[in-house]
Formats: sequence, C-alpha cells, structure tokens
Amino acid sequence: MNTVAVVEDNADNRLLLQAILDGLYEVVEYENGVDALAGLAAQLPDLVLLDISLPGMDGNEILARIRADDQLRRLPVIALTAHAMAGDREKYLSAGFNDYITKPIVDESLLLSAMEKWIAAGRDGKI
Amino acid sequence: MTESISANAGEDGGLPSTDEAALERLKRFGGGKLLGEMITLYLEAAPERLRAARTGLETSDIKATEMALHALKSSSAQLGAMRMQRLCERGEALARSGTLENVAGLVSSLEEEFPRVQDWLERARRPEVA
Repeated sequence: MNTVAVVEDNADNRLLLQAILDGLYEVVEYENGVDALAGLAAQLPDLVLLDISLPGMDGNEILARIRADDQLRRLPVIALTAHAMAGDREKYLSAGFNDYITKPIVDESLLLSAMEKWIAAGRDGKI
Repeated sequence: MTESISANAGEDGGLPSTDEAALERLKRFGGGKLLGEMITLYLEAAPERLRAARTGLETSDIKATEMALHALKSSSAQLGAMRMQRLCERGEALARSGTLENVAGLVSSLEEEFPRVQDWLERARRPEVA
C-alpha cells in the first residue's frame, strides 16, 4: 500500500481525509511544517497532501523547502486549499505544486484520481 | 422559506442557512460514525474560532482574524453550514485586503448564526430523533 503524508492543522480535515483514504493508502499525519519536514525526510511517502493555510510555516513555504531539498524534491505534492480564488490553480502549479484540490471535498474521486496520477508519475520518475 | 428576517438578511439574499447534502456526503465518506465525529469536532472548534476572530478584531490583528475566519469557513463548508461559510468568506476577503472595517458586523452575524447551526447539527447527530 502506498503511503500518503497529510499536512493539515485542522483535526476535522485530518479525520475526513483519513476516512476517504482508509483502506486505500497508509496515512501519516503532520500538523505543522516543522514536524512535516522532519517526518518526510525520515519516512519518505509516495505523495504529500499539503494544506496551504497553516499556522507558522504555511504550505507555500513548506513546498519551497521540499523543492529545495535534494532528498525531497521529487515528491508529488498536491495543494489542499479552501481559498479557491480565480487564478489560484495557475499560481499553485507555477509555484511547484503538482496539483491543486479545493476544500470542501465534495467529489472524492477528483482527489483520488489526482493522487493516483501523481503517485504513478513519481514512481515513473516523471517529477 | 419561513425563517424570520434578520438584520442582515438583505446581505444574504434569502440563501439557505444549511445544506443537508453535505451531511449525506460525510456519511458516504465514512458512515454515521464519521458524521458524528465531524460534528463533534466542529461544535468544539467553531466557538474557539469565533472567539479567536473576536479577539483578533479587538486587538486589530488582521492575520489572526483572517486565519480564524478561514478555518471556520473551511469546516463550515464541509459540514453544510452555508450561511456561516458565506459570512466567513466575506470577512476573510476583507481581512485579506488589509482591513478589519466591517468585519465586526460579520462576526456578530456569525455569533448569531452559530446556535442555529449547532441545533441543526445536534439533531443530525441523533438521527433516531429526526
């Protein structure tokens, strides 16, 4: 089973993702950027779901550190955000996120198909 | 729609307060167990976020107000508290644009709306009563 790291400070969102991913992925949860960066380096997942609005180091900064790190830079990273402003998608993709999923999660198949796609890309060395 | 007209009904255009479909969706994701747990977490966290938004206003802390409204918007949306979602969204957008002017009224509306949402979610958590 592939491993997915969820970086999310809100307990309700973590619980929801855990329910959606249950039985499909091994889920490792981090509540903040410092823990996430340490944890990712210690246990490299197959994909990262990264919330943008985090206290302290936000998702954009965590992503920048992932992309600047030799060990982590090829990780597939999907942004999870409730901002959903016009032009956000392009902004996140050009910042180096592989994909972008908006909250609230209404159609879980969008999330799951994006995850499958980017895990496969990561495995095939296409990131 | 039989709901009484509140002071800011004009701003909300008679849009519904809550959305049952969001609750059904959570049941689909993880059954009644997930729905109950999500409701419990929401009812614990929402008052804290409202307090954080209020404190942010009182201390003119734009970032703290924005973060509190953003988090409340996100969980309100997932649980179908649509009016709360809209009020948070407006407050968050104002704070993001650098002003807390007019946010106090929105936070007051949120504080008024929350007890209604709380009743609705507590009923949803006990389906046998419905």
